[in-house]
Amino acid sequence: MSSERRAGERSDRSAPLMEHEYDGIREFDNPTPGWWHALFLSSVVFAIGYTMWYHASPLSASIWDKWRAAEVAEFARIFGEIGDLEPDQATIVKMMGDERMMAVAQGIFQGNCAACHAKDGGGINGVNLTDDAYKNVRELPDIFGVISNGAASGAMPAWQNMISKNERVILAAYVAGLRGTSPAAARPPEGEVIPAWPAE
Amino acid sequence: MDGAAGERTGAAHPHRENGGALERFSYDDGIVRMFVGATVVWGIVAMLVGLIVALQLAVPQMLNRTGFGWLSVLVNTEWISFGRLRPLHTNAAIFAFAGNAIFAAIYYSTQRLCKARMFSDLLSRLHFWGWQAIIVSAAVTLPLGISQSKEYAELEWPIDLAIAVVWVGFFGVNFFGTLVRRRERHMYVALWFYIATIVTVAMLHVFNNLTLPMVIAGAIKGDPVSGADIAKSWPVYAGVQDAFMQWWYGHNAVAFFLTTPFLGLMYYFLPKAAEKPVYSYRLSIVHFWSLVFIYIWAGPHHLHYTALPSWASTLGMLFSLMLLMPSWGGMINGLLTLRGAWSKVASDPILKFFVVGITFYGMSTFEGPMLSIKSINALTHYTDWTIAHVHGGALGWNGFMTFGMLYWLAPRLFQTDLWSRKMMAAHFWLGTIGIVLYVLSIYAAGLTQGLMWRAFDESGRLAYPDFVETVTAIVPMYWVRVVGGSLYLTGMIMCGVNIAMTWKRRPRMYDVPVYEAPALSSVYVDPPRPGSRLEANVGLGHKADTFIQGWWHRVWERMPIRFTVWVFIAVAVASLFEIIPTFLIRSNVPTIESVKPYTPLELAGRDIYISEGCYNCHSQMIRPIWSETKRYGEYSKPGEFVYDRPFQWGSRRIGPDLARVGGKQSHDWQVRHLEDPRQLIPQSLMPGYPHLLDQDLKFESIQARVDAMAMLGVPYADAVRAGGAERAARAQAAQIASDLETQGGYPDMAGKKVIALVAYLQRLGTDIHAPATPAVEPSGTAADASGAIEAKEGRP
Repeated sequence: MSSERRAGERSDRSAPLMEHEYDGIREFDNPTPGWWHALFLSSVVFAIGYTMWYHASPLSASIWDKWRAAEVAEFARIFGEIGDLEPDQATIVKMMGDERMMAVAQGIFQGNCAACHAKDGGGINGVNLTDDAYKNVRELPDIFGVISNGAASGAMPAWQNMISKNERVILAAYVAGLRGTSPAAARPPEGEVIPAWPAE
Repeated sequence: MDGAAGERTGAAHPHRENGGALERFSYDDGIVRMFVGATVVWGIVAMLVGLIVALQLAVPQMLNRTGFGWLSVLVNTEWISFGRLRPLHTNAAIFAFAGNAIFAAIYYSTQRLCKARMFSDLLSRLHFWGWQAIIVSAAVTLPLGISQSKEYAELEWPIDLAIAVVWVGFFGVNFFGTLVRRRERHMYVALWFYIATIVTVAMLHVFNNLTLPMVIAGAIKGDPVSGADIAKSWPVYAGVQDAFMQWWYGHNAVAFFLTTPFLGLMYYFLPKAAEKPVYSYRLSIVHFWSLVFIYIWAGPHHLHYTALPSWASTLGMLFSLMLLMPSWGGMINGLLTLRGAWSKVASDPILKFFVVGITFYGMSTFEGPMLSIKSINALTHYTDWTIAHVHGGALGWNGFMTFGMLYWLAPRLFQTDLWSRKMMAAHFWLGTIGIVLYVLSIYAAGLTQGLMWRAFDESGRLAYPDFVETVTAIVPMYWVRVVGGSLYLTGMIMCGVNIAMTWKRRPRMYDVPVYEAPALSSVYVDPPRPGSRLEANVGLGHKADTFIQGWWHRVWERMPIRFTVWVFIAVAVASLFEIIPTFLIRSNVPTIESVKPYTPLELAGRDIYISEGCYNCHSQMIRPIWSETKRYGEYSKPGEFVYDRPFQWGSRRIGPDLARVGGKQSHDWQVRHLEDPRQLIPQSLMPGYPHLLDQDLKFESIQARVDAMAMLGVPYADAVRAGGAERAARAQAAQIASDLETQGGYPDMAGKKVIALVAYLQRLGTDIHAPATPAVEPSGTAADASGAIEAKEGRP
């Protein structure tokens, strides 16, 4: 290229003009900026370093490792002291009184159940959970059963593959606790009126 | 103009032309005028459709208010529902507006840079009318729900074939024919970018659109195929591989349809309008080659945290970061060309358009690499941030570069003064304010929603477990977008009026100047190679120093065929480095025994899902991110998608992810929700699909669908392949319809389309828990189960 420079012709910033010209368009022979080279080179160096760190060194954790660590930590945080829960009457009653567990269960309810039962349990196209009438529940463990296995030809889906057992137990307790609350818009009662939940 | 100006010093420079006989020629500006007209018309259409889809996301929350019910026509009408119209908007903006703009730029500048008329006036016309016919066919088929459902590649196989013919057979042959017949020895940098565009877009288009058309499968197996199904096809790739190919295409469509041709446009029209030499020839060489080589690798950054293997994800991120400087090379060369011309910029709206356009290019190409960093992408992906990013590029870079070019061309093409300079200046300000309103509001929407999705409260619950809360929060920003988009559209219409009025003032007969230039002689002596500038006696150092002086590139610039071959090698080699491992490494997609092919009815339902464009708002990809598995369930595994043709991972969650929606609601809920989502979720933005409850499912078409899948390698049982598909579908439909009636009272739905769609939705994401493997507890033993899968994959 240098031989093409026109020695005498200098531009405003003293860069030499290339000799060629296309449809009136000329080009300067300015060098590529130094910072451009520096940044380009450092992006290449970073790429090599990152690959070695992320894929070849034991110091990095993959996104799947991180996810598993989060899951283990979360399970330990919520259920660490309690251990495995069984869906029996005593456990469910106990959970109904556990404020912290009911807060966790509320989150599960909002995320999975509210689409059909409404956020406050008043029911949309799923049944009203706040009244005293129940279709498939006679005692507390039945709630766990309905959540796990579904009911009414799939109108109530089965959740046992999607929600862990511990979570279904506290969810059953949360649903039991909705009874007697007053929702904003309540679906009419369905099923039979059953006796109040046992206190113990 | 100055046809032979470049040759005047020939005698003094022995390496220059020895001058053939003078030839007389004129340029075909008629074709440029045609493309300019089409750019304006399609620009208005594309932006108008954009405004409609923006309104479709803003108004639904008003529908339940008294007095606004009539707006449901805008939201719930089958042919213009969001899922069908959004692809029309993107395709029109990219291929109709930007497409015609780059053709105008290429046809105008190539002739002048080559000192030659286009190779064939007939091919020019065939290219123009062929391309417009393709656009019209897109505008007809997309609203009819005829779609491949791959973003920016939605058009079905008959149109894809037409695109290949027009692009390669008409446009490509015409362009390269012109290069061969040029009278200018060396090719200017704009032409390099045009070469890269034509070669790479052809490659991307062909390999992303390899499909098995339903008519071919039907003809081979003797199944009837009729109506819109004639245009239906399925990709030869499935799941992870299909996703990879699609984003190899999608990313590089941005690179080679919206970047390289516009850089070529910039390199021609900017120095012309500024009347200044280009800042650096050297920089143009370095950034051209680094750009075309590196861009191709970066596609996987669209698939971070998905079921794509992690090595591909890493390549996507790192090559995006390395791409920053090559991209900025173009911005630097553009902006620094204006050194000493800034006073002119202040007074000339054309230069203002270019400066803002190039600045947006710089911002978008900075933002792109940042968004491709995995941890940043975890926040921004599936949110409106992506939408803001692409509109910064599309409205700022593509739009404003186009407007600058149109206003510069109009007086020259129509051989009269521009009708109104004031209107042009007003367009600039309206457009700029429009872009700023659009992108700022949509950045805010993206950030807001992304942060809401991942927010936990102190007890470890999702702070916003109800997805629609995260939608309601950003609807006000959707209204700001409507305002910004309206301003931008108004500017586009003013541009149209201005160009039309200028055209009206054209002379009765266009003056067609005749130029003279010598034909290229077959003998050419390159300038002597420069010597090494190094003083120390190091052999290799001398060679390297000679090489970096770039004399060899000057030689390539006079050899269009060799240049094109090297461009093709650059993009093809980079592609193969990623494609070959994606297809050949088995551990990329570990088999999950319990994942089975879709039933015939589910397959038909899946095709409805594709046809309605559900992927435009719903992803099917749960990332291994804690807030995400908390919301949607176990993260998606590569082996779950082996029967997905095409993949439906999506790119934006205007609604929630559906990867594990199967079994979460009753059939009754699904049907009610599809009929009118606002019956169940008053704040929902989703269109209603009442037509799915009315229209009959074509059961007789199902055998052909199953047979096509079987031809592509899906292991269907012999009974289903041997004509049993329709019977199986009817039996499953009857069962679902009967459950549906029991659950909520929709009677007699067994023959309707909605049953097939519900069958598909209820299947989604459930195979992983199917009886083939013992039922597992997600939070307890599922970790072990997924751990086993990880171990098989050899993931870190």
